Amino acid sequence: MNELAKKRLSINFKQSLKYLMLVFNDFFIIALIFMFGALMFWYAQSMKTMPANLWFYKPIVGAVLWLPLLAGHLVTLVKKADLQFLFTQDEQMDDYLKPMLAYSLILPTILLLLVAGILFPFATVKAGISPLNYGLSVIIAFLFKFTQLEIEKKNLLFGNKISDWLINLLTLLVLSFGMYYPLIIIVGLGIVLSMVGYFIARKNQMFDWRYAVNKEQARKNRVYALFSMFTDVEEKQVDIKRRKYLDFLLPKSLAKENPNKFLYRRSLLRNPENLNLFVRMTVFAILVSWLVQNWAWALGMSALIIFLTVYQLLPMVNEFDSNIMYRVYPIVRKNRGQDLVKVLTSGLLIQWLLISVFWLLLLPIDLHLLEAIILLLVFTLLVTLIYLPYKTKKN
Amino acid sequence: MALKIEHLTGGYTGVPVIKDINLEIKTGEALGLIGLNGAGKSTTIKHILGLLRPQKGKISLNDVVLTQQPTAFKRQVAYIPETPVLYSELTLKEHLELTMLSYDLDEGEAWPRAHELLKMFRLDDKLDWLPIHFSKGMQQKVMIVSAFLADTSLLVIDEPFTGLDPLAVANLIGLIKDVTAKNKIVLMTTHVLAEAQQAVSEYAVLNNGTIEIVGSLQEIRTHYGLKPTDTFDKLYQILNQEQQNE
Repeated sequence: MNELAKKRLSINFKQSLKYLMLVFNDFFIIALIFMFGALMFWYAQSMKTMPANLWFYKPIVGAVLWLPLLAGHLVTLVKKADLQFLFTQDEQMDDYLKPMLAYSLILPTILLLLVAGILFPFATVKAGISPLNYGLSVIIAFLFKFTQLEIEKKNLLFGNKISDWLINLLTLLVLSFGMYYPLIIIVGLGIVLSMVGYFIARKNQMFDWRYAVNKEQARKNRVYALFSMFTDVEEKQVDIKRRKYLDFLLPKSLAKENPNKFLYRRSLLRNPENLNLFVRMTVFAILVSWLVQNWAWALGMSALIIFLTVYQLLPMVNEFDSNIMYRVYPIVRKNRGQDLVKVLTSGLLIQWLLISVFWLLLLPIDLHLLEAIILLLVFTLLVTLIYLPYKTKKN
Repeated sequence: MALKIEHLTGGYTGVPVIKDINLEIKTGEALGLIGLNGAGKSTTIKHILGLLRPQKGKISLNDVVLTQQPTAFKRQVAYIPETPVLYSELTLKEHLELTMLSYDLDEGEAWPRAHELLKMFRLDDKLDWLPIHFSKGMQQKVMIVSAFLADTSLLVIDEPFTGLDPLAVANLIGLIKDVTAKNKIVLMTTHVLAEAQQAVSEYAVLNNGTIEIVGSLQEIRTHYGLKPTDTFDKLYQILNQEQQNE
C-alpha cells in the first residue's frame, strides 16, 4: 500500500507540475515579479512611516501567520475504483496515508515559511514580538497544520467527524492572543499534542470509503477550479446545481423554443462553469468601476469585461456534442450558433443591467454617467449583433 | 413500410465489425438481436442511430434513407441505451419537454401520455428533480419514458432489462406489446431471453459480424442442432466455438 501511495503521489506531482507550468507561464511570472516587487516596495516604505507598538499589531501578526494554514487539505488520491479494488485493505490504509500526509504538509509549510519571513521585520520591529516568541509561534502554527491533517486522516474512519473549522478557529485564537501572552502558545502546544494523542489512539476502525472518495473528489475539484482559471483542465468534473430560484429567467412556454436554445439556457443557469464565470466577471466589473470612481474608466473596463465574458462563453456551442442522446435525437445542429447568440444576448443584457444599476449606486451621478450607461448598452448590442453572429457562423 | 438494412458493412475507423448485414423488420414486428459480447450488436445499433458512418450498404426506414435525410430518419427513431445517458442540466420534466421539442410533439397531446408513463414507472412525483441524481434503475426509467413518449415508428432498445425492478420489466414488456400492436417496429438486443420472449417472437443471431439466422427461437434451435433437452444457453457455447474457429 505504501508503494501504491508513492506511485500515485508521483503521478499526481507530474500532473500538478504540468498545470503549474501552464499557469506560471512567462507573462504571468513577469506580472508576478512586478506585483511582488511593488508590494515589497510599499512594505519597506510603510515600515519607515508606520507608528510602532499599536495594540492591534500583535493579533494581526497572529492572523496573518494563520492564513497560509488555510491552504492544503489532506491529499489522499483515493479513487472511485478503490471502492471496488481496495475494499479489503482497511487496515493497510494507515500505511497508505503516511506518505500522503507528509506530501500534504509541503505546500502549507512553504507558504508558512514565506509569510513568516516577510512578516518577520514587522513582527519584531513594529509589533514588538521577541524573535524567540515569534519563532515559537511559527512552530506552533506548523504543528496546528499537522494536527489538522491528522484529524482529516482520522475523519476517514467511520465515527464522528471533526470539522476543519474547529481547529482553524482554535489556531486563529491561539496565534492571535499568543502574541500577547506567550503562555497561551505553550498551552496551545499542549492542546495540539493531546489532540494528536487522542486521535492516534482511535485505532481499529473501519475505513469510510465513500466519505474518502467524495472528500478527495471535492479537494481535486477545488484544485482543478483554481487551475481552470488559467488553463483548460480536462480532468475537471462539473457538479451541476439545480438553482430553482433562477427558473424565473427561463421562458414559461415552449412555443418559441427549440432544442438548442432550451439546452443552452439551462446550461448557462445551472452549469457552474458558465454561471460562475458570468457572476465572477460581473462582480469584477462592478468592483473595478467602484475602485476607479470615474465614468470613463468604468465604461472602458466594463466594456472589456463584457467582451471577455462572452468570449469565454463561446465554447458552450459544442457543449452537448459528447452526449449520445443529443446526436440520436432529431435536433437540427445547423443553426445552433444563432441559438446560442440569442441565449447569450439575454445574459449580456442582464449583465449590462446589473453593472448599470451598481454604477448608479456607487459612482457620482451626473450626465456623463448616464451617457456611459447608454454607451455600454450600445457596446453590448454591437457585441451581440455583430461579433457573436460572426464568431458562431461556423456552427 | 419497414426498417431495411441492406448490405451493411461498418465499424470503427475502417475496421469492419459487421459485414454485409441484411435485415428487414416490418411494421408491427419486434425483433430481438442476440449474440455474444463483441458480436456486433451495439455496432449495428450505432449504425441505425446514425452514430457511425457505414463503409458500405444502406439503412432506410419507411423509405427514408438515413444518409440522405438524417433528421427525417431520426424523427422516426427513439432509442433506449443500455446505460442511461442524461443531460445533467435538465430536470425530469425538462427531459420530457426536450423530447417534445425535438420530436415536434404537440404538448397538449404529449403531456397526458407522459403523465401516464410517469405514473406507470412511479416517477410522477419527481418531475422537478435532476435525474442525474437518481439511482441507475430510475435513470433507466427516465430513458424508457422519454423514448415511448416520442411515439416513433422505430424503437431501438439496447439491453433493456438490466437494472430494472420486476414491476418495471413487466411494464416495459407491456409497452413493447402495445407499440407493436400499433404497427410500430421494435429492435431489441438482449441476453435475457426469458423476459424478451414475452414481447418478441423473432430473433436474429449475430456472430462474427454477420447475421447467421433470423427466425423464432424454435427455428434457431433447429438451425444450431440443439436437442430438446438442451437449454438455450448451449447456443452461446456453439457461437463461441464458431468464433474460435474463425
